[in-house]
Amino acid sequence: MLFQIAEPGESRAVEACTQRVVGIDLGTTNSLVAYVADGSPVVIAEDGDPIVPSVVHYDAGGAVLVGRTAEALAADRPRDTIASVKRLIGRGLRDIEAIRGLLPYELIDDGRMVKLAVAGRDRPVTPVEVSAEILRELKRRAEAHLGGPIEGAVITVPAYFDDAQRQATRDAGRLAGLEVLRLLAEPTAAALAYGLDRGSKGIYAVFDLGGGTFDVSILKLVEGVFEVRATGGDSALGGDDIDRALAQRVLGEAGVALDSARLVRRAVAEARAVKERLSADEATVYALELDDRPRLERAVSRAELAAVMQPFLDRTGRACRRVLKDAELSADDLDGVILVGGSTRSPIVRAYVADVFGKPPLCDLDPDQVVALGAAVQADVLGGGEQKVVLLDVIPLSLGIETMGGVVEKLIHRNTTIPAGAQQVFTTFADNQTGFDIHVLQGERETVDACRSLARFQLRGIPPMVAGMARAEIAFLVDADGILRVTAKEQTSGKEASIEVTPSYGLTDEEVERMLLDSFEHAEDDLARRNLLVERVEAQRILDATRHAIATDDGLLDDDVRAATEAAMAHLERVAAGTDHLAIRAAVEALDLASKPFAQARMNRAVNAAMQGRRLDEVEEELR
Amino acid sequence: MSASPPHRGEDLFALLGLAPTFQLDAAELERSYLERSREVHPDRFASAPAGERVVALQRSMAVNEAYKTLKRPVKRAEYLLGRHGVAIGSNERLDPAFLAEVLELREELAEARQAGDLPKVTRLEKAMKGRHGAAVASLGPLFARVEASGGDERARALADAKTTLILLRYLARYLEECEAALDEDAA
Repeated sequence: MLFQIAEPGESRAVEACTQRVVGIDLGTTNSLVAYVADGSPVVIAEDGDPIVPSVVHYDAGGAVLVGRTAEALAADRPRDTIASVKRLIGRGLRDIEAIRGLLPYELIDDGRMVKLAVAGRDRPVTPVEVSAEILRELKRRAEAHLGGPIEGAVITVPAYFDDAQRQATRDAGRLAGLEVLRLLAEPTAAALAYGLDRGSKGIYAVFDLGGGTFDVSILKLVEGVFEVRATGGDSALGGDDIDRALAQRVLGEAGVALDSARLVRRAVAEARAVKERLSADEATVYALELDDRPRLERAVSRAELAAVMQPFLDRTGRACRRVLKDAELSADDLDGVILVGGSTRSPIVRAYVADVFGKPPLCDLDPDQVVALGAAVQADVLGGGEQKVVLLDVIPLSLGIETMGGVVEKLIHRNTTIPAGAQQVFTTFADNQTGFDIHVLQGERETVDACRSLARFQLRGIPPMVAGMARAEIAFLVDADGILRVTAKEQTSGKEASIEVTPSYGLTDEEVERMLLDSFEHAEDDLARRNLLVERVEAQRILDATRHAIATDDGLLDDDVRAATEAAMAHLERVAAGTDHLAIRAAVEALDLASKPFAQARMNRAVNAAMQGRRLDEVEEELR
Repeated sequence: MSASPPHRGEDLFALLGLAPTFQLDAAELERSYLERSREVHPDRFASAPAGERVVALQRSMAVNEAYKTLKRPVKRAEYLLGRHGVAIGSNERLDPAFLAEVLELREELAEARQAGDLPKVTRLEKAMKGRHGAAVASLGPLFARVEASGGDERARALADAKTTLILLRYLARYLEECEAALDEDAA
């Protein structure tokens, strides 16, 4: 075993061979964690399910739930159940204007970033904290699976993420107690998962249509170096948009106003289910229970879904052509196209991609898992495994500085290979001027108000001199994660000037530290409350299921079983109102036991029905 | 595995392990770049002490910068010119006849742009691309002269290269305007 001795003040170096490192796909809709076992990456599943829905529920008692349990609470507590937080991370209210009306959250803008008012918190939470909760859950899963603390993680981000979004993702990792070894572009991760790094050369396009983000990237592999040649996309376009558009079309046509957050959520969830069914079937039915009018039922064909999807697909197509142009390539130059993201399961999307690139895409790996698998491969490499390839990323958006008249001067251009740097020298314009205001921006447009404000720097402590004499050099440095660092130096005096950083949309170091302290302080209370909520959700689920079963198959219940089951249900309802999570779990188990003969009878009937030439899945559907 | 930090103004050719010449083989340049990138990329130093990680970051940045500059013939030529101690200032004198011609072409472009006459813009762009390409092609022989000679002959060759590079700046700006005019319409 190899040992590296940590230098004082260094947290990094530990035993090289036994590092527990993971790859994390922190997705808009779903998140996954994976690691490399015996040389190949695998996702970590709990109860057979590798997916943690990126949903976080805040409870009035201060507890936090993540994943499926949080998702189950979304319909009843939309304001306190945050989904798709990736759309908000590192952003200001102005950035999300287009989707704001569709979000059931109470958004607060403190001038720097979006925050969310939620139950159980005396101050609004930031998207960074919400994301950190998802990462904590993934970390917990990984630690349970691997049997020890996680030493480091590679977290993937859309290649299109700007500096603020990357910085915020990194902060979320820190907040979750993870050492972020690298932020890896999602398309690069996908290529690693496909083992494209094992070939000698090739040019690939990665088409990634997830829940809330769309990316397309061109990767080039030459002699062991993986290079992102160009990247583009839309950080506010995804499968969620298609679901919403379909829901709006169906409900609008039926004259149903989408006027409550709960209705929107259910209508959109059904639209997603319809979309998923249409991947296999040519036609299906959109069905939705409504509060004050009869159940809505309407047939939807695959062709109609394709029509709803067309405007969104056209947007992806434009981005594909632009990224090919940026890479100075044509579709014929590509050796392959990789599909990533749940939305690419749709045959409509696959046909469109094949058409745009002129070749059928690769889709052997599960498009939901491919990014996490690739992240695990890279985590393994960075954690001390064998280095096979070097990944060269590009910066997705130009970085610049505000100059006179609100114009942006670009210092580092879009699609420049990173790490990258640039310097700019400023001179004083007034006698005895001792400071500068510097405004850093990211974006492709020429004017300040059309670009994203990243930070304002105040450079102070310049010795008083005649105007034009003091020369301050501002150096930009973009690291391998695509995160910008700025340093400043006064050249005449040779003194390093002090610099004050106020990220425009992000957290200061002090804020991250305070949040870390907060989470430690509340950890114990939160755990107890969390257990209680998890058991309550489970209790509600089994109560609903049992009631439904009794309502549909009353005839299969004999009197003894009915009495035992009803008593167990009453007991569970009583206990679930209390606060003892162990008592609730015991009551759930008791109900399970009491209703077992009934469940058996239903199963037998299902099997018999199947024997009579009916499809088992139809029967199962009925049983659900 | 170790890397020493690049020092300010380190020679871009030396950074990539290449001889300082204008006539670079594109494939060899790419090969050298990828080889150096493999050696110094920060990912290779992910579990190294902080100091080494910073050095790797700076090295990697310098290598990227060197490749970006050397792969483009005009940038490479400008860099070589500077390496020979000849700088292009912001206010260089130009042949008045050339200046007058450029001004005239610009007016023509502005008029076509104003009138939304895209075929004309495309025609002007095409003509200018040809001229730009010819000027770029002339850099090879000019630098061959620079590299083969010494004394006054080298000074004259450098002056000619400088004139061509200044001319190229005007032509490049004109092409940017053509592109902007065509983009404007596409938007």
